[in-house]
Amino acid sequence: METKRKSPLDFTSKLTGQTRYIHDMNLPGQLVAGIVRSPHAHARIVRLDVSRAKEVAGVKAVLTAADVPDFAYGPTRFKDWNIFARDRVLFVGDEVAAIAAESAEALERALALVEVEYEVLPAVFSASDALNDSAPLLHEETAQNRPMHIRIARGDFEEGKKKAHVVCGGHYETNRIYQGHLEPIAVLANWSEEEGLTLWAGSHIPYRARETYAAGLGLPEDRVRIVVPPIGGSFGAKYVLKVHMVAAVLTMETKRPVKIVLDRFEDMLTAHPRVPLSIDIEIGADKEGNFVYKDVVVHGDAGARIYWSPNVIATACSRPDNIYRFQSVRAEGHLCYTNNSPTTCMRGFGNAEMLFAVESVIDDVANALGMDPAELRLRNIVREGETTIHGYKLDTCQLEACIRKAKELSGWDRRDKLPPNRGLGMALANHVSGYSGIDLRFEGSTAVARLKSTGEIEIETGEIELGQGMTSTYAKIAAQALQIDESLVTVKSGDTSKHPFGIGTLASRATVIGGNAVLLASKQLAERVAALIKDQLGAEAVYADGAVEHGGKRYSLQDIAAWHRARHAGDELSVKATYRPDTELPDASFYGHPSPNYPFAAHVAEVEVDPETGRTKVVGYWAVHDSGTILNRTMAKSQVVGAVAQGIGWVLMEDLVVREGQVRNPSMMDYRMPGATDIPPVEIDFIEVPDPNGPLGAKSLGEVALDPVPGAIGNAIAHAARARGTLLPLSAEKVWRMMQDKA
Amino acid sequence: MSSLDNKVSFQINGRQVRWEGDPVRALADVLREDLELTGTKIGCRTGECGACTVLIDGQPVNSCLIPAAAAADAEIETIEHLQDQPVFQRLVEAMAQTGGVQCGFCTPGIMVTLWAWLQDRTLFGGDVTSALKNNLCRCTGYRSIISAVEQVVEAEVSGR
Repeated sequence: METKRKSPLDFTSKLTGQTRYIHDMNLPGQLVAGIVRSPHAHARIVRLDVSRAKEVAGVKAVLTAADVPDFAYGPTRFKDWNIFARDRVLFVGDEVAAIAAESAEALERALALVEVEYEVLPAVFSASDALNDSAPLLHEETAQNRPMHIRIARGDFEEGKKKAHVVCGGHYETNRIYQGHLEPIAVLANWSEEEGLTLWAGSHIPYRARETYAAGLGLPEDRVRIVVPPIGGSFGAKYVLKVHMVAAVLTMETKRPVKIVLDRFEDMLTAHPRVPLSIDIEIGADKEGNFVYKDVVVHGDAGARIYWSPNVIATACSRPDNIYRFQSVRAEGHLCYTNNSPTTCMRGFGNAEMLFAVESVIDDVANALGMDPAELRLRNIVREGETTIHGYKLDTCQLEACIRKAKELSGWDRRDKLPPNRGLGMALANHVSGYSGIDLRFEGSTAVARLKSTGEIEIETGEIELGQGMTSTYAKIAAQALQIDESLVTVKSGDTSKHPFGIGTLASRATVIGGNAVLLASKQLAERVAALIKDQLGAEAVYADGAVEHGGKRYSLQDIAAWHRARHAGDELSVKATYRPDTELPDASFYGHPSPNYPFAAHVAEVEVDPETGRTKVVGYWAVHDSGTILNRTMAKSQVVGAVAQGIGWVLMEDLVVREGQVRNPSMMDYRMPGATDIPPVEIDFIEVPDPNGPLGAKSLGEVALDPVPGAIGNAIAHAARARGTLLPLSAEKVWRMMQDKA
Repeated sequence: MSSLDNKVSFQINGRQVRWEGDPVRALADVLREDLELTGTKIGCRTGECGACTVLIDGQPVNSCLIPAAAAADAEIETIEHLQDQPVFQRLVEAMAQTGGVQCGFCTPGIMVTLWAWLQDRTLFGGDVTSALKNNLCRCTGYRSIISAVEQVVEAEVSGR
């Protein structure tokens, strides 16, 4: 059978079940490993005895804190990680010991024989409680359990308050959402003296993961290699994980490969869900509807240690302000340690959460002023060419066109004539295309473009495909620069020992930051090819569309590759290029121009609320996006619908219920995610104006597609139920109560 | 471990297979670990996500919930067996065209379900959206998957 399959990331491989995720991979002599986790939210370890576990036949290693390096480490500037809990456990699921064994049966027996005696300590479970003087201190070096406290102020706030004619606001809470990646978290680890440590791990920021793990193990970075297999979904869950470290110390101890695949229960119990935010917000508008001030106070629950929650708080406190011409803004953000399982990023990253509150309050302001919510937004939005209140420079912005198109597609004007219990709601969003300041040392991306001996092109990047279509986008960019068919381009990434350094696929970086590097490398390769042709055939020979016609003969890229190899000792022609974005690192007050460009979106949701049960059904959805030029229309649309589906789950049904630090619904039966029947037809349109800073005019899309969904559905429910829901999820029970209270 | 006769005979992907082991072991594990048919994925082990869907006598079932012995003498088909079928190939092409696949982890299970539905459209009340009720996908939002199936059905109706 002829096959054109080139990569496990190809659609065909995935559709025929040939793609191998970590769970499908095995190494000879591989051991299976498991983790002993704390059953308590906060406790002192009084006695830890692993002697009986060690005696089980087939057990190769039992490790506790006493057996492993003890360096303070962590992925951000907050170095509060340890490999195993030393004398205190800080949350239910905290790692106490780990075992590697020949078989799953031996592992199970040994895990049951680890004896731990705890002295339970007082615990704290909410961010605001954590700030009380009476709250137990989780990390002694962090006063008040508050690793981060930020204040942002812009404009004349006091003057803004004076000018306010209408003031709306309230207390909003966003829920603990499980990222819901279909592939459970897994790792395969191998150690050898020659190669050092190799981790097959689905991290989409493998270089930062390598740095973090090397620090935790006390190894130089070049002794740690991370290989990224195909990733079965992440949405933020699979950046940098403790389970990778546990596998690492076990393989280093046993000198055998070690595999850990979390089952769904353990995955959800120790999941690092979206950071739950509690938001107090106020927006003031003058008589004409101009936004004169916005004031927010945010409390974020980091859980027991820091993953990426600080960046989430900073984003929540600033990014939504860049959609509107607020005359003044003030934000205060508290990030707090609690005895809950640590929280981290999820698609939308603080922006989506805050936009739920902002977009809800804007609808309330519109109601108070007797204005159409879409008109109120049109009055206040930022425009192309402006610099926003926090310094974002908008070379392109088609937000107005997005709003007008969303109104047209959704039939917004029927809003006043809807049947009872139906509602239409609008929300806007922005995002970045890569954020300057994720890594203070380097903001860009590097790509290698190589002409292979077959005449095909190979692109190497430090960014990571995780199903969003990055590889096909990069193939398209390279193909365009080299004037060849996309099928001739293979994109490779995900091996820290082979591919160029990349910050990783986060903050919507892939298309714009990584794509610009791919474009640069491909253009330079085209120049090198042209120079080689001139050298070989003379100045009149010109490369076009993948070949040279000269003297009645046709020379293909394969011929050109051979010319180069003949002159360079068999070496392939390759170019390495680095794109450095023309951005500004935001200052201490988060002012700056942190992204090459900024995508925007306007969404409208239509819902029907059942007054008997409070159950909401989304019956229509319209999403209009300004993401510059769309490079891959099919995947772009699929991503937008996927984001809308995630948003429907987020707002209407999903909630990782944690009581006293214990996850109460750690299974997919009890944590309901949307199925096919929950998703209405979604109509999507793109307002395509090329952005000068994006590759071929593109801006990012994946995260901005989720950002407005909670606001749009929340506003549609408020319109249908004539009552405002402020605590996510807006479950049937909550909406029913809301309607009863109103009546 | 057990002195019981734990031999089971299956018909897997058109081959007769004699298998010996714990009869209550999940069929999904037997397929993946003993027979190296890793196209069948395990997402939840509670029969909710559908990543482990295989066909037993033509019916899609969650193989993570089926004890191996319960499939004795039945005809089992996994994703590995379907790819040479022309209708399956048409579905593969349609899924790629509509964007019905992103991370790909749920995809084999979904493809098995869709294949079963394309063979017998009276399944699941005749409606493809209902057919997908036992398969979760976190990436695509399902609509592109539904479009892909509609495309295959339309092509068939119009005789292309």
